[in-house]
Amino acid sequence: MPEFGRNTLELIVQELQRPVRVDESFDRRVMVRVRRMHAERRSHFAADWLGTAVNLTRRPAYAAALAAGVVAVVTVGMLRSRPETVASAGPIPVQFVLVAPEARSVAVVGDFNNWGLGDTALVAENHNGVWSVSAPVPAGVHRYAFLVNGKQWVADPTAPRAASDDFGQPSSALVVEGSLE
Amino acid sequence: MVALVVGAFGRLEAQDPRIGNRLDAPTRKALSALVDSAKVQGIPVEPLMEKVYQGLAMGADGPRIVLAVRSLTVEMANAHRVLGAVATTDELKAAASAVHAGVPAVELGKMKKQSGLRRSLTLPFTVLADIVSRGVPVQTAANAIRSLVGAGARDRDISEFQRNVQVDIEKGAQPKAAAETRVKGAVTTTTPGPRPEKREQE
Amino acid sequence: MESSDAALVSRVLHGEVNAYGALVSRYRDKYARYAVHMLGNREDAEEALQDAFTRAYRSLARCEDPERFGAWLFRILVNRCRTSGARRVRRGQTFVHDETALLNASQEHPAEQTMWREEIERALGELSADQREAFLLKYVEELGYDEMAEITGVGVSALKMRVMRACDRLRVLLKEVHSA
Repeated sequence: MPEFGRNTLELIVQELQRPVRVDESFDRRVMVRVRRMHAERRSHFAADWLGTAVNLTRRPAYAAALAAGVVAVVTVGMLRSRPETVASAGPIPVQFVLVAPEARSVAVVGDFNNWGLGDTALVAENHNGVWSVSAPVPAGVHRYAFLVNGKQWVADPTAPRAASDDFGQPSSALVVEGSLE
Repeated sequence: MVALVVGAFGRLEAQDPRIGNRLDAPTRKALSALVDSAKVQGIPVEPLMEKVYQGLAMGADGPRIVLAVRSLTVEMANAHRVLGAVATTDELKAAASAVHAGVPAVELGKMKKQSGLRRSLTLPFTVLADIVSRGVPVQTAANAIRSLVGAGARDRDISEFQRNVQVDIEKGAQPKAAAETRVKGAVTTTTPGPRPEKREQE
Repeated sequence: MESSDAALVSRVLHGEVNAYGALVSRYRDKYARYAVHMLGNREDAEEALQDAFTRAYRSLARCEDPERFGAWLFRILVNRCRTSGARRVRRGQTFVHDETALLNASQEHPAEQTMWREEIERALGELSADQREAFLLKYVEELGYDEMAEITGVGVSALKMRVMRACDRLRVLLKEVHSA
């Protein structure tokens, strides 16, 4: 039983000075945020204040995928996850699919490729009316849409809507997770 | 400030003439002011630029792009106020989307407080915006997402919940009924993730 | 040989973001203790601590004396704890137990040791936030009054008054508990 009187304060302080151990995952959570801030800063400064078109040469995996026309077979869905415990902000492959038998061309544009500016649109391949394209997409939340025949905007029917009607055209939301939840 | 704007746009046009040419001077000036204001408020600038590109791609004129960016700035500022400095850019983007859909920012703050820093709310906020935009009443939608987050549902469970609600509505279900029904199933069958501990109010 | 704070800060500012991890590891346990006692529970403490680290990273270029990064970070944490809101005490787990400390505690009466610890935390909760802050900085973190003034922005004489009142109040509260 603690004694009171002059020693009370010492006893209180002694107790309060006992070490407090923090879970190891704390460091990881902080560094996830810090690395994201770092990546955002680099993107911001590289885009020179008000932004610029995406330079494909900065994303070798992306350019390689387009050049090779590789279509990775990935389950279509809203959520793409990388099964790693350490968050790396690297892109992961995402497959976009639109069933449009009457279309002559389909492209995918969104936040991840500056909405096609600078010729960065993802051009889909047609397989009996099923249009698809795969590309690495960075972790994060992205608005995107299909552009059919170069002029018609179509939301992805398999994805959540991006609640954004600013420009009178539909768009969808894609969440790419970079860390295991 | 004006000198900076001129300088920045000069560089922008040099790098991508198509962007520079498509933004007239009043638009560039208005956008610069919005970007500056966002920076002062600690709001990430990248989502605002994405909105500019989206507007350009969709053929919107300058005033419409400015309006869209201004709305997004306000929505992100509201989200930032309730979510705090710990919210990531993605969470703010997703939260802004929910606010845009009509969800009061205070509801998002409640979810963030409930989940703390143990999980990202990017996906839950995205789903919230989606189901509200499909007609689920705001409070029903917010309660559903909060239930799922509170039950420790992982993102994949919340994704599945969104898909089920979407399909039900497309088949003719009332949005409110679809959400209320599906959340019951999702909460009982969810694969538990880290469960936020209840706090005792003093 | 361990890198100094200044060396690590310099590396981070030159783009080596992973060097920040060493700073996080270096200070997280030490400052977690303050946050836990100030805020009353681990959840809020970890949230405040994470926030402080990310704010510090964001403003790292404005750290005027990188050699004293720790003190600068602590100031951010103290401010963050102030804005955290009401202290919430969760019944049954008011703070993180240190296993070694528990082992070293009274082997004869471990349950009493736990109760004593909880009583102290509850008594801390009875102090005003200003008094609690001053008490923890002075006695638990063992800062000098000048340092405390720098961190809190409060004058030395006001801080001394807060510390004195905190000590008096804690003695009364804890004596009452044991007299009951």
